[in-house]
Amino acid sequence: MTSKTTSRVGATTLLTIVVLALAWLVGFASRLFAIVRFESIIHEFDPWFNYRATHHMVQHGFYKFLNWFDERAWYPLGRIVGGTVYPGLMVTSGLIHWILDSLNFHVHIREVCVFLAPTFSGLTAIATYFLTKELWSPGAGLFAACFIAISPGYTSRSVAGSYDNEGIAIFALQFTYFLWVKSLKTGSIMWASMCALSYFYMVSAWGGYVFIINLIPLHALALIIMGRYSSRLFVSYTSFYCLATILSMQVPFVGFQPVRTSEHMPAFGVFGLLQIVALMHYARNRITRQQFMTLFVGGLTILGGLAVVVYFALVWGGYVAPFSGRFYSLWDTGYAKIHIPIIASVSEHQPTTWVSFFFDLHITAAVFPVGLWYCIKKVNDERVFSEFRLRFERQANNLFISVILYAVSAVYFAGVMVRLMLTLTPAVCVLAGIGFSYTFEKYLKDEETKERSSSTSSTAKDEKLYDKAAKNVKSRVPDCVNSNVSSPVSCVLSVRLCVVDGNSHYAFFFCVSFMFHNANEGEETGVSSNVRTIISIILVIFLLMFVVHATYVTSNAYSHPSVVLQSSTSNGDRLIMDDFREAYHWLRENTADDARVMSWWDYGYQIAGMANRTTLVDNNTWNNSHIALVGKAMSSNESAAYEIMTELDVDYILVIFGGVIGYSGDDINKFLWMVRIAQGEHPKDIREENYFTASGEYSTGAGASETMLNCLMYKMSYYRFGETRVGYNQAGGFDRTRGYVIGKTDIKLEYIEEAYTTENWLVRIYKRKKLPNRPTVKEATIPIKGKKATQVNKQDLTLTFNFNSLQGKNKKGVIRPTPTSAKA
Amino acid sequence: MRWLPTLLLVASIGIQQSFADRVLVLGETAAVKDSHSVFLNSIKERGHELTVRAADDAQLALFKHGQLIFDHLFVLAPGVQVFGGSLSPVEISKFVDAGGNVLIAAGSNIGDALREVAVEHGFEFDEAGTAVIDHHNYDQTLDAGDHTTIVVGKDQIISAELIVGNAAKLGPVLFRGVGLVSGKSNNLALNIVKASGTAFSSDPKAARAVNPSIAGSRTLLIGGLQSRNNARIVFSGSAEFFSNTFLASKTNSVNPLVQGASSGNAELASAISKWVMKESGVIRVKSVNHHKKGETVPPAEDYFITEDVVYTIEIEELKNGKWVPFQGKDVQLEFVRIDPFVRATLKNNNGRLSAAFKLPDVLGVFKFLVDYRRVGYTHLYDVQQVSVRPLWHTQYERFIRSAYPYYASSFSMMAGLVLFSIVYLYHKDTPIKGAKVLDSEKKKN
Repeated sequence: MTSKTTSRVGATTLLTIVVLALAWLVGFASRLFAIVRFESIIHEFDPWFNYRATHHMVQHGFYKFLNWFDERAWYPLGRIVGGTVYPGLMVTSGLIHWILDSLNFHVHIREVCVFLAPTFSGLTAIATYFLTKELWSPGAGLFAACFIAISPGYTSRSVAGSYDNEGIAIFALQFTYFLWVKSLKTGSIMWASMCALSYFYMVSAWGGYVFIINLIPLHALALIIMGRYSSRLFVSYTSFYCLATILSMQVPFVGFQPVRTSEHMPAFGVFGLLQIVALMHYARNRITRQQFMTLFVGGLTILGGLAVVVYFALVWGGYVAPFSGRFYSLWDTGYAKIHIPIIASVSEHQPTTWVSFFFDLHITAAVFPVGLWYCIKKVNDERVFSEFRLRFERQANNLFISVILYAVSAVYFAGVMVRLMLTLTPAVCVLAGIGFSYTFEKYLKDEETKERSSSTSSTAKDEKLYDKAAKNVKSRVPDCVNSNVSSPVSCVLSVRLCVVDGNSHYAFFFCVSFMFHNANEGEETGVSSNVRTIISIILVIFLLMFVVHATYVTSNAYSHPSVVLQSSTSNGDRLIMDDFREAYHWLRENTADDARVMSWWDYGYQIAGMANRTTLVDNNTWNNSHIALVGKAMSSNESAAYEIMTELDVDYILVIFGGVIGYSGDDINKFLWMVRIAQGEHPKDIREENYFTASGEYSTGAGASETMLNCLMYKMSYYRFGETRVGYNQAGGFDRTRGYVIGKTDIKLEYIEEAYTTENWLVRIYKRKKLPNRPTVKEATIPIKGKKATQVNKQDLTLTFNFNSLQGKNKKGVIRPTPTSAKA
Repeated sequence: MRWLPTLLLVASIGIQQSFADRVLVLGETAAVKDSHSVFLNSIKERGHELTVRAADDAQLALFKHGQLIFDHLFVLAPGVQVFGGSLSPVEISKFVDAGGNVLIAAGSNIGDALREVAVEHGFEFDEAGTAVIDHHNYDQTLDAGDHTTIVVGKDQIISAELIVGNAAKLGPVLFRGVGLVSGKSNNLALNIVKASGTAFSSDPKAARAVNPSIAGSRTLLIGGLQSRNNARIVFSGSAEFFSNTFLASKTNSVNPLVQGASSGNAELASAISKWVMKESGVIRVKSVNHHKKGETVPPAEDYFITEDVVYTIEIEELKNGKWVPFQGKDVQLEFVRIDPFVRATLKNNNGRLSAAFKLPDVLGVFKFLVDYRRVGYTHLYDVQQVSVRPLWHTQYERFIRSAYPYYASSFSMMAGLVLFSIVYLYHKDTPIKGAKVLDSEKKKN
């Protein structure tokens, strides 16, 4: 018997390792589309800064990096990079680079940066496996690992070249949560310390650590409220909190935030609460019930009241910062739009559409409510059957609460912001893994002897114990409640998706939800083996479709570097538009080393990274008023803008213009945000309504307002644009992005001059002129005779004198005869 | 490297000054040599090389192979309609942009060319045939009855010694010619001599003035301009202002308040010509240095916040063809990051101007900025960009006095924990029953 068990364990281990290795491989490979199609290049915007910072660190060493004062960013304010960056990413790739270097694999740091995120996706898969294994079963863990490896919601931020914090932070998130679950399960200080260490890595890697430092206390709080306090919770939470707080304060960017901002206060509050609860538990057995009640009620009331008063006093006194705007915008989606346009202006801060849930999660979006339901059911069962409170089981159920809270909070946040889809994806993958695993277990169990195709069949040892307990439970719990709640959740979701998108794809979700409905009941009633087979096959088909969908989405939607654009010609050839790099290269080669380039903040990192020139604002949007100043310059008329630009020592101005090729992400389309941000700081000078047409539309076409037509952004975008013609019968100045002819085509620039325009006009660079050497009279009040117009303007003069000089250099002059003066 | 252009500019001025300046004087005819001989000779006496030509000379040119062949241009020919040779208003503008200095003297018979030159430099002459008329301040001796020969009092002359010399000692000035007005957007205009409030510009032959386009003290008699490249241009409405006749004669103003005296034209013309030829009011930066207090050279990398710095700038002034230390006491230094964070008046120690101050507790890219603009002086502008960075993580204090209680508490906590552990692990309750003690000791053994 022992040999048989060993071999089975051995086979299971091997299988697990193989599956995880494959998941890593597939996850890595599916993220390489961008490299295969384009080249090994850093993508988008933020990665460029991360790359630049990493490069700086590798070049100058860690301490120089930690103390790096970047005078080329946020001119003239500068930026203390070391103190305003989460260094985990740079340190990670620096470390990898160092290790490779010492092993004599000499790789450019860029390659390390490019391949970091795909590599970490494999680690994420493994961390997810462990987390799910702790929560449910190894089989579910494998499912979850496979899901997360290719789930588009996660791939979107971790393709090769997308060198961003999120790439490693999701791994850290999953791993921290796994360790938290582990420490809670064992109640050991060691696991709690490991969890704190992992949390430290998470803090050093991503600002999203706030999620986990609130999630873990939330879990602890939920356990306390549900009366599930245990010494394990006390040990693991207190050791985690103390260590984690001290460790996180070592990151310069975080600094004293863990003790001084409201975002971190819940963790502290729960820490305090836990002490009180522990004290209660200690006291309960040592004093009378009467005393206990007095102590409990009186003490808790006083302490609670005191805590609230102290908190508000600290906030009022400025010792604890109130919640930040970003935090409020998570609860009130309209908040950012009114109060902090800079946050609302970012597309990834917009609320998520239903479509993107499907797009990013596909089948897992439909299955995860089922998984969630299983978890809730487990908790419920346990509560109903409190007399069977086995210690181990009780612990396990505590864990379900953690995943439930994780999933529910992540779903909420993902609904608020597209960007936070990223935190939802791991939770969804875990729960979908549980859902699939559970279902397959149910359906393949009878055929276990015949089939051993799936590893899941052999993994549910712990599971069986629960199931037996659960079956006893079932007699008291009305079944209909269970099944009818679980299926409607997913049904509603799928119907909603169906209606919104009208895509037949979503019809599958109906099937899925019904399957699970049946599956839920199936465990009681028993289903014929044919039905089981059919359902299993269908589920496998769904899984295959998930793979196809994930690959499709990764390839088509998430693998664009956005530094290089791609389109196709009429006969289907690929057309690469490399305007961005063309322009940045021009800047690098043709401008002074200390030239200062003004652009909207989106392009700051790219200019710094690729052109190596000083920028005024960049994607690290830490100073709203500075951005507003740039916004004001862009939305003012030329002379007002000139004053601002002189103040800021601007040498070049860079705008992105997509009107020629129909690129919709250009500055004119972003312009309204510039106006809004500028208005927020300079409400007297910039008013949003001045930029609308008479009918209140935002347009640069025929009805565009005078302010719009004279603002710097319009002029720079459309300068000389009137000369272009798209087709024979098309008027000059037809804007392909917006689909109309622009309002004003004869644009004259007075204070700036065109310096460079790229091949497809995508990037236009202007130079700020110096003030004229001498003033000239533009509108003469006293007419000069011999001039046709009463107004002498410079161009007329030039024309005349060119004509004169054409007549030959050695011409004789003309002198007006002296009038005979009376006394001459 | 940022000071390189400044140095080059300084160097070019230096070279220019080391030679006798070449002046092109244009008259309506070559007779200007005689009619303005006193004025021209005074310039020659100052060591300059004069080339006198008629304004319609077909060989006129200011540039040769793209280089200036004259340093200064004096146009004492009011009636130029079209310049001869390659000369033209645009050419004159180019001359100014290339650093040449120009003096234009016009008159009532002003030609279009001069008026266009004025327009190109932010001024406007009145139309040909008009003259500045002042019925209250004309000269009884020289005037022909149309009250166009004006006597100008001291109060109408700009109070800038560098341009007009010692105005207090100046006699009344005679003027006859066309009115001038500065353009609305001309921020650089200097109203060197303006007309009195009773003056107006009109055709003296007309029966009465109808809506004169220029009137009152807005009317300029002599206007000046220092362009942004420090080239100097002076427009005088009167060529006769510089003539021998006016230079030598005595004034006899109809205004009883103005004492008759020998005219101040000679002194004023001399002062203006000195100014326009950059013999006065020329200053330059010799050297700039900034460093931490107690050091002599700028820091290798950046300054740190709240450091004490010393800024020194050496300024020189051109006097009588020699660079001597500048003695001005009102030069200010600004330490700017968009707004000035520090503004200090530099202490002048014989041409070495210095200031010592503490850097603000603000990080960023700052500029040491000396932007010295005074009427009559060339524009002195010097920028030194430096970065002010926060402290290194190793530069903070290791131990803070106010934190001693916390150090004490943490160490006492550690010690307490160790003690407690020892006590907890090894302390035995005092035995109450002998047997039990024995038991436990037996077990131990």
